[in-house]
Amino acid sequence: MEGRGSAVKTPASRIVKRRSKSYGRSCVEPPSQFWYTPGQLTIVRIPTSREAAKSRNITEKVDPEKVALLVKNEWKLSHVTPLYRFRHTQLKQYSRHLSAFIMAEKQQGVAVEVGPETTFKVTFSTVLGLAETEEDAETVFIQIHSKPMFAAAGDVPKVVWSGWLTCVNGDPEYLRSLPPDFVSLPLFCTNGPEALTTLVKSWLERTFDCNCRSLILNSTILNWLAVLWTGCHPTTDIRYLKLDWTLPTDPSLDISYRLSPQDVWELWNSIHQEDSADDTVSLEEVNRFMTGLESHFFRHFRIYLSAGTLMKVSTSLGSAHHNGKIKIACSNYIPTVLTLLTECAILRMPI
Amino acid sequence: MDDIATDILRRTIRKIPVKKLQDTLKSWEHISTSQLETLDFSQPKWVFLENLRSLCEENDLNVKHVTELEMIYHIRNPNQGTWHACQLLEAEDEALSVELTQFREQFKAHLMEVMRHVSVKIKKHEDQAIWIRIAWGDNFNKPNQLKPTYVVHYLQTPYVFVSKLSSKHKPYLYQALVLSTRHSSIKDAHLSGSSLIALRDLLMRQYQQVFPTNQSRPLQERNALPSHPNIGKEHAELAEKRLQMACEAFGDGTVPKLETAVYRLETKYKGNGNDTLIDRDEPFKGVVQFTSTNLLESLRHCVASGMADAPVTPLLSSITQKGRNYFVITEKGPGAASQMTGRKI
Repeated sequence: MEGRGSAVKTPASRIVKRRSKSYGRSCVEPPSQFWYTPGQLTIVRIPTSREAAKSRNITEKVDPEKVALLVKNEWKLSHVTPLYRFRHTQLKQYSRHLSAFIMAEKQQGVAVEVGPETTFKVTFSTVLGLAETEEDAETVFIQIHSKPMFAAAGDVPKVVWSGWLTCVNGDPEYLRSLPPDFVSLPLFCTNGPEALTTLVKSWLERTFDCNCRSLILNSTILNWLAVLWTGCHPTTDIRYLKLDWTLPTDPSLDISYRLSPQDVWELWNSIHQEDSADDTVSLEEVNRFMTGLESHFFRHFRIYLSAGTLMKVSTSLGSAHHNGKIKIACSNYIPTVLTLLTECAILRMPI
Repeated sequence: MDDIATDILRRTIRKIPVKKLQDTLKSWEHISTSQLETLDFSQPKWVFLENLRSLCEENDLNVKHVTELEMIYHIRNPNQGTWHACQLLEAEDEALSVELTQFREQFKAHLMEVMRHVSVKIKKHEDQAIWIRIAWGDNFNKPNQLKPTYVVHYLQTPYVFVSKLSSKHKPYLYQALVLSTRHSSIKDAHLSGSSLIALRDLLMRQYQQVFPTNQSRPLQERNALPSHPNIGKEHAELAEKRLQMACEAFGDGTVPKLETAVYRLETKYKGNGNDTLIDRDEPFKGVVQFTSTNLLESLRHCVASGMADAPVTPLLSSITQKGRNYFVITEKGPGAASQMTGRKI
């Protein structure tokens, strides 16, 4: 992580100035313990370079069945502040608590879009091996099964909702700076009915004194993903690189640009300097690559794509949408993508 | 009333909104006014349908009659499914004198000649449009009435609009059209969309067009007071100029409603200072698709607001100038400007 901007340690006595934006706790909330942590706060900077994507067979490290679960779905992303007194050893207890919480909320009349005569069973489990560094906490996978109240003998409980909390290559300085009682799993991926997501989030917030917010993927993150995936082409055929923009015209104009994988890789290869021993990609290269594509487009249509918003990036390896939805289609690049998203989630943390 | 007739009747009635049922059935003319009066239009559709079906049985109606009702529905709701435009080429001398009766006879005859099982229904609509419904069969099977092709042709024009045509039947339809309209060939016009009216208006230039002029249009009054009169005037003039150019390219007022435009780019890389790619001979391939609820309006606003540079590039203005929304852009020759060629059919 040499490439990262140096983290500045703030002296304990001084009032900590927060970075320009924080989407988590607001200043007016009553101060929690986290707020008063003495002198160990770091300022996480947006990195200007990162490692190029490397294909790795992660099923050697992680249970293939668990990997299959992560790859199958489209996930809606949220970021979560550090969990207070979360223990990986108490997952069974959490399963019971969350089941009870959902049933209780349902009885209170909270709309859960699964038939009225159903019971819920929650399972928490760990996905061992997804963590990359000592500081990363192991990923926690949550599934909610539904079962009709009067089930026949052969009825198998159906998975109605799943989600996972993860941290991959989280900024070590940030993670080390957390007080001992906190576990940081900043990235929360969910799939299932919105009502259940809301319930799980509110349970997490109450149980671990944390805060969950949806994560928006800005164009910088999407650009990084476009480049990281394009760089994979010599190893794994990406088949296409598709970029989607929306222009704020009236009515709005959607522009999708689908590029041939070989051509787009050649463009990237001509920009990217591969001389360094640790293959890193710099933000400047990413910007030149995107400008290269946008200017080629401009020469044809004379439309300024910068006037609009980059909404979606997709290749056959996966896709990422501005609204925080991602899909990872190829398990070999899970660590690369999760590293980027973990960082994106940590950047949203209040400091 | 056999099963197929009932099926078509059910599908059609389901699609018609309750408010328009009575009117549609009246124009169908196979149920008498007194019979219509016995029907209760406020009933749930499935009950209504049962009553209607028994009236049809009473009147001894069959598939032929029911398909007529389906045609009436389609004629009244033309903006459904995807329409593809075709253009007839090289009109013969008699092309201009082809009239409905002659066309009807010839079209049917030419189609029946090559296909044993085909059912054709032709109806003339008020605005000179001829609506053709074709149910296709083959040598062994009866025509499939549930998946008909719809064709709309404006007599004495080279334009034909086709919906739900399989590539298998394309040659038969094209041949019958060419022969019965007295042309020598037909080609894909590379224009498609869900609004039949929009495609027609675009091709026949039936929308408010703006032509280049040296006289500037009078400046509209603006509410905001500019910081300096001269700056304000210059801004307003520029904005006016952009709007003028946007309207020249995409039309003024209400423009034909297209949803998409697709460009297959097979041109050399033209991006910013990247010598490796600029020197490369092979094209930099990609497909650009523009999508909007009203594409021409979006593009006009895009140019008028400055999100696109004026004057409008020929690639975009070709949508209206050439009446197409599918383009393949290739290099004319080394160093030459891009050129548009059509997809080979």
